[in-house]
Amino acid sequence: MFEPPIQRLIDELARLPGVGRKSAQRIAFHLLNAEQADAQRLADAISEMRSSVRLCNRCYNVTADQECSICSDLRRDTTVVCVVERAQDIPVLERTQSFRGRYHVLGGAVNPIAGIHEENLRIKELVDRVELEGIKEVIAATNPTLEGDTTAMMISRRLKPLGVTVTRLASGLPVGGDLDYADEVTLGRALTGRQEL
Amino acid sequence: MAIRSDQGIVLRGYPFGESHRVVVLLSPNHGKLRTVAKGVRKTKSRFGGRLEPMTHVDIVLYEGKELDTVTQVSVINGFPNIRNDLDRVLAAGTMIEVVDAVIQEDDPSLRMFLLLQRGLSVLDDAQPHPALVTAFLLKAADIVGVAPAFDTCSGCGRTDNLRRFNFAAGGSVCEECRSPGSYSLRAGVVEYLASVAAADITDLPNTDESMSKEALGITKRFMEYHLERQLKTLAVPNV
Ligand SMILES: [Zn+2]
Ligand SMILES: [Zn+2]
Repeated sequence: MFEPPIQRLIDELARLPGVGRKSAQRIAFHLLNAEQADAQRLADAISEMRSSVRLCNRCYNVTADQECSICSDLRRDTTVVCVVERAQDIPVLERTQSFRGRYHVLGGAVNPIAGIHEENLRIKELVDRVELEGIKEVIAATNPTLEGDTTAMMISRRLKPLGVTVTRLASGLPVGGDLDYADEVTLGRALTGRQEL
Repeated sequence: MAIRSDQGIVLRGYPFGESHRVVVLLSPNHGKLRTVAKGVRKTKSRFGGRLEPMTHVDIVLYEGKELDTVTQVSVINGFPNIRNDLDRVLAAGTMIEVVDAVIQEDDPSLRMFLLLQRGLSVLDDAQPHPALVTAFLLKAADIVGVAPAFDTCSGCGRTDNLRRFNFAAGGSVCEECRSPGSYSLRAGVVEYLASVAAADITDLPNTDESMSKEALGITKRFMEYHLERQLKTLAVPNV
């Protein structure tokens, strides 16, 4: 046990993902020995992030404004929406530079055993958007897990009657990898989703 | 520390640490197994889809202090058609939830393993029969020794006029034996449930939609009474 103010910081740091007790102690003592201004900047960054970041009114991405930078970008294609489980999936897809539409953040994937049902996700909000925004294609970019696949099928069942095209991200082989390293489930899906050359 | 091999059907998994996953399997020999699969949440993981729920796998385990670590996995049956169909995946989810609820760790039940394996195979082969989940629940109840009585009154043993169902009594009851908390059932439901309980899950009796819904509803409530918890995966109107 350290002096209470230090111990309190160590306890908080140790709750962060990927930070063990040892690292928490190292960080705490680093901050103790740092300039007052340096420590203050970190504290300010954390509290400002928490107080200014909110959810986009349209897509539920994180933003500091009413709408996120993607939704308010006039060059984006408003007829295509890519549905993701979490806001942190958006920058990952943006890095591909292969998508020019908008997003919709569900807030998770259905997992009935864990008590997460359709009504706990923003599927109703997605249906409303499709009806109001003239969306023509919805891409289900949920994780390729049982929960993500089930969620994608539920979205499809809800949206198909509205006459919108629902597509799913293809599952396949990692680019640059060897075929014999792929597991049979991934390989099987890659075969089913094969494309004509 | 030793290495051992086993097989099992993956019931569920949950994140563990940064990139690991705890995977819970039903083994025919050891009941529920709680194992750790290291690094599987990374896209490059070799285990990839092999440890997703509803997959029957052969595994090699490295025994650890608390959790055994999965070192090799090969798929025996991935039930691929279940995963591509919403109705099947939901039915399979209920089967998995029930098995997960009634079987404990180090509580081997070969019969329950075989029931789950067959249930998933039947789902993988064809669209689910409307009574499949009902039949699965009744057979699971039978394996754990709480099968409801359908053809005789749980109070006096008579075999006619069984229009009520009482969870605490253990099944159907007649008008004289009915006690507070007995459910009143529509004519024919008890007979239908009896025929479902007796049938093989590949050859289930047909009936109309409202009868099969009522049969499923009462079976669900019966299971929940015995499990002392709700079945979260099963959305049927309560009877
Ligand atoms: Zn937005
Ligand atoms: Zn009686």
